[in-house]
This record gives sequence, C-alpha cells and structure tokens, in this order.
Amino acid sequence: MSDTLAAGHAFLAVMRRDLHVYLSYRTRLVSQVLTALFSLTLFYYVSRLVHVSGFDSHSAYFGFVVVGISLISVLYSSFSIPELVRQELIAGTFDRLLLSPFGAIRGVIAMSLFPMLFSFVLATVTLTLGCVIFGLRLHWSTVPVAVPVMFLVVLSFLPFGILFASLTVVVKQGSVGTAWVIALLSIVGGLYFPVSLLPSWLQTAAKLQPFTAATDLLRHLLVGSSLGESPQTSLLKLVGFAAVLLPGSILLLARAIRLGQRRGTIIEY
Amino acid sequence: MTPRSLDIAEPELGATGTLERLVGARPTESSPESDSAPLRLGGLRKRWRKDLPLVLDGLDLTLERGTTTWVGGRNGVGKTTMLRVAAGLIDADSGCVEVWGIAPGENRVRYQQLVSFLPAGDRGLYARLTVRRQLEFCARIAMVPRARFGETVEHAIATFDLSELAERRVDRMSMGQRQRLRIAMTFLPSPEVVLLDEPLTSLDSEGMVLIQAAVAEVLARGGAVLWCSPSGEHLEMSFDAHWMLERGKLVAV
Repeated sequence: MSDTLAAGHAFLAVMRRDLHVYLSYRTRLVSQVLTALFSLTLFYYVSRLVHVSGFDSHSAYFGFVVVGISLISVLYSSFSIPELVRQELIAGTFDRLLLSPFGAIRGVIAMSLFPMLFSFVLATVTLTLGCVIFGLRLHWSTVPVAVPVMFLVVLSFLPFGILFASLTVVVKQGSVGTAWVIALLSIVGGLYFPVSLLPSWLQTAAKLQPFTAATDLLRHLLVGSSLGESPQTSLLKLVGFAAVLLPGSILLLARAIRLGQRRGTIIEY
Repeated sequence: MTPRSLDIAEPELGATGTLERLVGARPTESSPESDSAPLRLGGLRKRWRKDLPLVLDGLDLTLERGTTTWVGGRNGVGKTTMLRVAAGLIDADSGCVEVWGIAPGENRVRYQQLVSFLPAGDRGLYARLTVRRQLEFCARIAMVPRARFGETVEHAIATFDLSELAERRVDRMSMGQRQRLRIAMTFLPSPEVVLLDEPLTSLDSEGMVLIQAAVAEVLARGGAVLWCSPSGEHLEMSFDAHWMLERGKLVAV
C-alpha cells in the first residue's frame, strides 16, 4: 500500500514538475489562448462567408468546427509526448527516471498527464471564448456529461502518444511522422467538415481511429449536433480503443526501453 | 574478486501479469544483512559493435561493505560503461551484476532503491526548476516514504550546503553549484551503493569536503562507494581499494 501511495505521489510530482516548468515561461499561456482566439475568429468569419452543405445555419457550422478546434488541442498534446521524451533524453533526465524506483515506463505515462490535462483546460477556454465572444450556444443540459467523456477521449488518444514515444526511444527523433499523422487524423476525424463528405474509402479510415467517435460524441453533447450512430456505440468505440491500445502501447514502450538497454542505445540522444 | 559467468536475467514481456510487473513492480524488502556483497560484477563482457574490441572483457569486481573503491584508467577505456552496467542503465552482453545479491532484471524497483549513480558531465537536471523543487522531485521518483520525505529533502540541502541556493533556478547557477546539486541528488535517497563517475568535475575544495562527508555516511550504514576518474584528481580522498581498467579488465594498482 505504501508503495502504491509513493507511486501516486511520484505521478503527482511529475505533473507538478511539468506545471512549474510550464509556468516558468510566462508568455506561453497568453500565446496559447491568443492562438485559440485567432482560430475561432478565422472560423467565425469563414462560417459567415460560405454555406456548408449539411448545416442549417452559419451558427451550426461554427458550433461544429469549434468543438473540432477544442479537440485538436487534445490531439496535439498526445502527440507532444514523443517530443517530451526526446527532451528528457537530451537533458539526461530520462536516465534519472530510468534509474529511479519509479521507473521510465511510469515516468513516460506520468509526463503525459500534464499536457493532456492542460489540453482539457485549453479546450474549455476555447469553448468559453466561443460562447462569450462569438455567441456559440452550448447544449447546457448535456454539457456536464461531456466532462467524463472528455476524460475518456484523453485516454483513447494517449496510446498514440505513447506509441510514438516508444519510437522516439528507439530512433531518437521526437517528431517522426507526428505532423502528418495529426494532419491525417484532422481530415479523417472530421475536424473541419463532416466525414460524410469524404470518399467512401476514407470514410472507412474514419472509423478505424477514436478521433471521429470522439468529435461526433462531443459535438452531440456540447452543441447538440446529430449523431450518425447511437451515443452508446460511440462510447463503446472510445472504451474499446483505450482498452486495447493503452496496454499495447505501454508494452511497446517497455520493449523499446529494454531494447535500448540491451543495445546500450538508451544513453544516446 | 570472484569470476562469474552467469547470464544477466532479462524480463520476459509475454509472461502473465507482465504489464503489472513492468509498470508497478512491488519491491520485496531485502536488507543488507546477508552474506552477499553490496556490489558484485562478475565476468562482465560488453562490446559496442562487432568490429570493435570488447570494452569490458570478463571484468570482475566486488565491493565489500563499508569500503570505498577507486577505478582509474585512460579516457574511453570503459569506466563509464562499467558504471552504467552496474547502475542498471544498460546491459552487459554477458556476466553478472548484483547489489546485495539482487540482479537488476530480478527486482528492478528494489535494485534501484539500493543503487545510486552520478553520471559524468553536467546533465540530468531540469534547468527551469529551483534546487528545492529538483530535490523534491528526486525524492518523489525515488519513492521516499511520505513520513521521511521532508526530512530527506532538508537533509540533502543541509548536507550539501544548498540552503542559500534552495530557491534558485538551475539555469541561473554556476557549473560547480550544479555539480553540487547533482551530487546531492545522488546521495538523497540514502542508497546502499553509490557509483560516482568523475564527481569532482567543476567542484571546489568545499564541495570535495561535502562529498567526503556524504561518502562517510554511506560507509557508516554498511554501504559501499565506487569512484571512477581518469587519475590523480582525488588526492584528498582515501580509498580502500585501487584498480586500473585496462583492456576490459581491472588491474590492481
């Protein structure tokens, strides 16, 4: 029990460390909020300018895209984990984690917590700005349900970050393929437009990752957009992705670290 | 020194309960009361590439309790590799590594509780964190029990004379001050075996005295210290054993 408690404290310590490092860059928060504001402004006027088929009004499309913009911060956070691992490798602090009783595997999982939770905060800020400045109308009766669903979304996205972190441990590059994976997921996940507009083979790809289910479900809960499938099906998909991919990604990370230790490349960066 | 030729145990990832073992292995209490040595390296072999000679060629080393051991040798001879293998950071190709009879692959958590490693150089610090936060983080990942947490951090600050620097960020400190912090982090979890790779880098004479005091604490609780440096920089320090690493083996000095 005391070990579990100590491990829990270590998880919190990693989060606290990342918070302190984040806060030490005083302009970072302002910069991120401004970026969200600029994106909202851009899409607000795009929604006014064009008529998007499948949407009753300009506001309906704006609501659709705001949820997408909010979710992309979660996607970016999960794909920031490989870069964080790379920074730790360069700074020599990864060795410190690896040689601690807490260990590198729990360390990598722990270092993903702050960015993921912060992306949750940023998504909330984006939605709030959308409401306050651009008149976005939230579906308040189902907004509270969106909170636990968001945590589930975070859990279903986390394995992608851990998978790429495993790759980083082996090849020592943090951004190998992450940019195009994010771009691809933005398209097949229906970030800016409904996936029904995509060719049928891409629509199949849309069903093979959790991003589409997450955006559909959160749009339904936050702005009341209709769902292509039942909420239970979307929820099951997210649970399924998290349940299968999370242990798989952790096992791969463990293998990557062991490989590095066997070859001696774990000390390289 | 006792030659050993056992293979290093490696955890199998496909076994039942593997994930639990990987992310949350429970340490089994193993105290240094048995007849095993604080650190035993037996028949270590390590080759970095097939076309290169062995950097460790059947290396044997046993540290006795309450002793300090110095290992010297020219640059690139394999001192750091030996320490990294002993710390559990990298694997040898073959051979045995044990701390109080425990191999790193056998019980990783317990092994890391018993051993602490100071790598050479100035890496391993979070530049944007203060000294105190750095030490607190170090204590947390060392899984120091809650009851001893505050006391452990304060002891490290006091032992290494870091009070005045406690609230200073690492990127605003001199190289010598950073080295003192790195050493404080190495000794913080009260390890049984301390592996030091060129610990005097950038350190002033005051820092040297602080290390001596910390080493004395380790020896007093029956631990052992392995100190590696090229040569001649540790005149103030007395060692119980002196070795030179040559062509992958230790030679008595």
